[in-house]
Amino acid sequence: MARSRNAFRVEDADRRRTGVPDCRAIRLALAVCVAAIGLAGCQRSAAADRIGDPRAGAIAIDRMACGSCHRIPGIEEADGSVGPPLAHFASRQMIAGVLANSPQALVRYLEAPQEVVAGNVMPNEGLGDRQARDIAAYLYTLR
Amino acid sequence: MRSSLLRRLFPGWLLGMFTAALLAGVFGALLLSGLIFDTSASSQHSKTFAWAIHLTMIHSVRERAGRQERPDAARHASLLNGAAAYARDCVACHGGPGAARAPWVSAMLPTPPYLLDSSSRWSRAELYRLVHDGVKMSGMPAWGEIEPDQTISDIVSFVQQMPKLSPTEFARLRQQARPATPDSPTAIGAQEPSTFSSASSPS
Ligand code: HEC
Ligand code: HEC
Repeated sequence: MARSRNAFRVEDADRRRTGVPDCRAIRLALAVCVAAIGLAGCQRSAAADRIGDPRAGAIAIDRMACGSCHRIPGIEEADGSVGPPLAHFASRQMIAGVLANSPQALVRYLEAPQEVVAGNVMPNEGLGDRQARDIAAYLYTLR
Repeated sequence: MRSSLLRRLFPGWLLGMFTAALLAGVFGALLLSGLIFDTSASSQHSKTFAWAIHLTMIHSVRERAGRQERPDAARHASLLNGAAAYARDCVACHGGPGAARAPWVSAMLPTPPYLLDSSSRWSRAELYRLVHDGVKMSGMPAWGEIEPDQTISDIVSFVQQMPKLSPTEFARLRQQARPATPDSPTAIGAQEPSTFSSASSPS
């Protein structure tokens, strides 16, 4: 035990002597990065969580077969080419080119797509408010 | 002496085969006992399993569809006949342009997809095979068991034309496809939707 500690100390000393940067600095930088990413992740899911439960939303999207008309990242077999792909939905400016993108607008669109866009082939799925909010929460995780 | 005999009786590969068989047996027993596979439709498939069975279905249909040539039969009468059959047999599970599926369908696993882009996913022969023979273990019936081949062909023609229909036209077709009752004698083909008139001209 003591010997190995000694060995480490020797190594450190060697590094300092040879000018190799102390990896403690690198480790610190890494830790800061990880924390920042983690925080960003928390912020993201917090915003989505306020609307609904994104995980329940993903299951609802699967069950409602949204993926047979839309390409949706993270949903199995969601490779439809009838409507627009829903990737990066959180940074989309307009919904269906008609409503400014906001959680309220998205929930309204999901609950009555044909009232927002007359003649829309996207069906009114009769989503409950809860379900629509969960689906919206999932879509807002797509940055 | 003893151990060298053992070594001759159990060369590495034999031992390997034995282990593999044992593992397969244990796996099979666990599977059949229901301990490691949940058949309830309320829980999702694992991503890998869903991917694997879907891919198998696609390849199976492709493999078996190829041989017979199915001429495009987009005649006006067959499209209307297909629309009526679609409204009767399919719309509850697969919906249509602007028309949601029946509410209970979202509780199915796998859940039936909307078919608006199926003509870009499948060839005519593949669609015929799918509708005629269904899909095992999914809830997609083999319609060829109860419908004449001509009706299947008409349904496929209709499915191929479906993306060209507006929700209003689709709703009108469904209305027409309802079985005629004495007080509302709506016959199929009484009113010809514009989309079909253009589709009926031979190209
Ligand atoms: C039958 C096909 C179909 C189904 C099923 C469908 N959609 Fe759509 N969806 C469309 C079409 C087509 C549009 C484009 C409408 C427009 O732009 O006017 C659209 C638009 C959207 C938009 C706006 C997209 C954008 O880029 O502005 C969202 C969000 C959306 N759908 C979500 C869903 C969700 C969630 C489901 C499942 C509950 C679903 N859709 C089911 C066809 C469909
Ligand atoms: C009881 C519900 C049910 C009915 C009714 C039904 N289907 Fe299906 N269908 C399914 C299911 C479930 C699948 C999904 C199979 C899979 O993905 O393995 C499916 C898959 C399909 C597919 C392949 C879709 C794809 O791209 O993966 C086609 C095409 C299809 N059905 C056509 C029809 C037609 C046409 C009718 C009417 C004659 C019909 N179905 C009636 C349940 C149904």
